[in-house]
Amino acid sequence: MTARRPRTTRRLAKAAAGPETTKRFSLRMREGAWKPSGEILLRRSYPSRLDMKQQAMDTISDLLVARGWVVDSDRPWLVLCLDEAVTNAMLHGNEGDPRLEIEVAVAVDARRWHVAISDLGEGFSMESVPDPDDPESLLLEHGRGIRLMRAWLSSLTYWRHGATVVMSRRRADI
Amino acid sequence: MPPPNAPSGHLIVQAYDGIILVQVTKDRLLDPPVIAAVSAEMMGLLDRYAKPSYVLDLAKVGYLSSAMVGKLVAFYKGVVAAKGRVAISGVKPDLMPLFKITQIDKLIRFYPDAQQVILEFKRKPL
Repeated sequence: MTARRPRTTRRLAKAAAGPETTKRFSLRMREGAWKPSGEILLRRSYPSRLDMKQQAMDTISDLLVARGWVVDSDRPWLVLCLDEAVTNAMLHGNEGDPRLEIEVAVAVDARRWHVAISDLGEGFSMESVPDPDDPESLLLEHGRGIRLMRAWLSSLTYWRHGATVVMSRRRADI
Repeated sequence: MPPPNAPSGHLIVQAYDGIILVQVTKDRLLDPPVIAAVSAEMMGLLDRYAKPSYVLDLAKVGYLSSAMVGKLVAFYKGVVAAKGRVAISGVKPDLMPLFKITQIDKLIRFYPDAQQVILEFKRKPL
């Protein structure tokens, strides 16, 4: 009998196999503010300073791993997703202005955990995001973050024209 | 190989007969200042060697961001412009999908360990 690979490994292997087998690349942009489903476990603000980034990421990742919703072996992927979102909020959304804060929120429902990260910027245009399936994108030095996040997350949704990103993934404990 | 160059903080560089082994010493390649420093050290190597064969060893790296992947692409482009070649070794299994999803494995060859690349490069000199 062949050993069944863990769900994460199967999912990432499928995504890594090539564009033809990945989910169709699209960003979901929603109007209005994000309303968390389920219980909110954490809501906290951090100034847009890179020395606070690690603290924000550790707080969220320690919570998700300690509750068993993310397995420890997936921590590099969780950290990658948090890093992309927090760095983007601090450096691009809030333009690195330490007087401006980002807000992070962690919520959980019966099936998924959700992490929302908001900045005080005006969001972004989808047209500014390179199409990762375009062969010419291969040599670009930017534009891979969203693709990586989507490979691991169950969903990635933008609200307020992109000034809030909500990352969701099925809980590892169910 | 001769003893490594004086430690630069983020890289250990050993060069022998046109093969340059570059070991990244940082576990986390996430913070923009760290990424900028590592990238600057890597790009600085491009001016030092003609037709180089680089072995970029990431065995110590546990975390990296898409920004660092972009810097690896920049280094690759610099190496190609210098008529050299580069391979990456030692990537942890958890991180390998990251390079496949971003299709970096179509640009750069990956090997389990640095010694394997060095032998390959010696077998097929530029």
